[in-house]
Amino acid sequence: MIEKLMNIDRRIVFILVALAVIIPSLLEVSFPITVSQPTRSTYDYIEALPPGSTVMIGFNYGPSSLAELHPMAKAVIYHCFQKQIRVIGMTLLAEAATLGDNMLKDVAAEAGAVYGQDYAYLGFRPGATQVLLGMGTAIDSVFEADYAGTSLTEIPLMADVTNYEQVDLVLDLASGSSTEWWITYTNTRYNQQIAAGVTGVIVSQMYPYLQTKQLIGLMPGLLGAAEYEKLIDRPAKGTEGMSIQSFAHLLVVGLVILGNITFFIQRRQGE
Amino acid sequence: MRRQVPLILCFAFGIVMALTEFSPHPFSQWLNEEIIDWTLVIGPFALVLAVATLVQSHWTRIRRRSEYWQYSFLVFIGMAAMVLIGIPLGQRHEAFVWLFRYAQVPMDATMFSLLAFFIASAAYRAFRARTLEATLLLAAALIVMIGNAPVGDLIWNTIIPFEDNLPSTARQWILDNPNLSARRGIILGISLGVISQSIRIILGIERSYLGGVEGD
Repeated sequence: MIEKLMNIDRRIVFILVALAVIIPSLLEVSFPITVSQPTRSTYDYIEALPPGSTVMIGFNYGPSSLAELHPMAKAVIYHCFQKQIRVIGMTLLAEAATLGDNMLKDVAAEAGAVYGQDYAYLGFRPGATQVLLGMGTAIDSVFEADYAGTSLTEIPLMADVTNYEQVDLVLDLASGSSTEWWITYTNTRYNQQIAAGVTGVIVSQMYPYLQTKQLIGLMPGLLGAAEYEKLIDRPAKGTEGMSIQSFAHLLVVGLVILGNITFFIQRRQGE
Repeated sequence: MRRQVPLILCFAFGIVMALTEFSPHPFSQWLNEEIIDWTLVIGPFALVLAVATLVQSHWTRIRRRSEYWQYSFLVFIGMAAMVLIGIPLGQRHEAFVWLFRYAQVPMDATMFSLLAFFIASAAYRAFRARTLEATLLLAAALIVMIGNAPVGDLIWNTIIPFEDNLPSTARQWILDNPNLSARRGIILGISLGVISQSIRIILGIERSYLGGVEGD
């Protein structure tokens, strides 16, 4: 029996994972969400910004991390539009260019935001760190036109946003190292306020920057999205995903505990 | 000469950029910004290089009939489709957006989703409390995992009416304290390594970035 458990066919584990994902999504179970301090700090900072402020959002994640970061982007952008805070989108990743454009258009349609006045999307430019440094001098030295090819001089929003001095907050939505680039090149050099929303895999790397206040806030993966949705009282994909995440995490915890119990029994039998 | 010119350029730009970072003089700031503008122009060439390398490596796979060489044709088909639609029609054209939304996004997301299955299987097989260190790591991982899912708090609050939301509080404590300390140590180590490596490159001691055989 123990031997069987130790050498369980991995396809059984795969089926259990599939069930842990499928069942809660069909049952639509929901759990109460506790908001963590780093997410609340991000919310509080944006909430305190006066109407007409500017938030720059870096869509620095590809389609593989879309499930975690898209709900977060949606919640924060909606919050900004609700507060009449202007949003400038951009990306340092080629594959995220279309993704950021679609997201801004979708949320703008829901919130009734107008392109050019309430938001603008600059798209992608290669050379990550040079892009970040270049925008410190003049945004139009890096992005001479927006994603649709319209010159920045023809976009009303960009008339009074020339560099980081007019940007009240940068929010980096990242699945890689881009948050660290923002911190190194824009926070340290230009004293730019930065918040981040990152995938669960890299969230632990961000805590030193949170403690030094180089990050004013941090949203951890899908949980961060759910927390932000709770704060703006608009449950959506993040909140829905929490039931799936809960069951999947419980399953993995259960498997680890079971694996260790069988390991100890086998070791005792061996002795 | 092939090696001396890059070494001289690297030394000159390395020293100039390092000095301009510390000088608030207008000329220094102008020079810094000017060089950043140059690098912005150079940046796109890296993309050209990346495409050339991709084509070269997959073409070599096809020519040599390496394992699964047939898939390299898919790389070319995918690349050609995106380029032929993206360049003439633009990235906002319906066809380009359709390909992105209904081909690239599902494929990319599927690849990443598979990780969940392998992680679950690997966690069952390999995550064992064999030593004290492994036990500590295991305990921390389980607490963070439970704290990361709202069901953790729900179970705790229902079963144990003491210290509400303890799983998420414990998770936050682990992230704020042991994790932060360990991560800071890693950052300091990496930073010192980067500084020393940069000095070696600027001074021409480290030359591996030039490629080729030592002494060429």
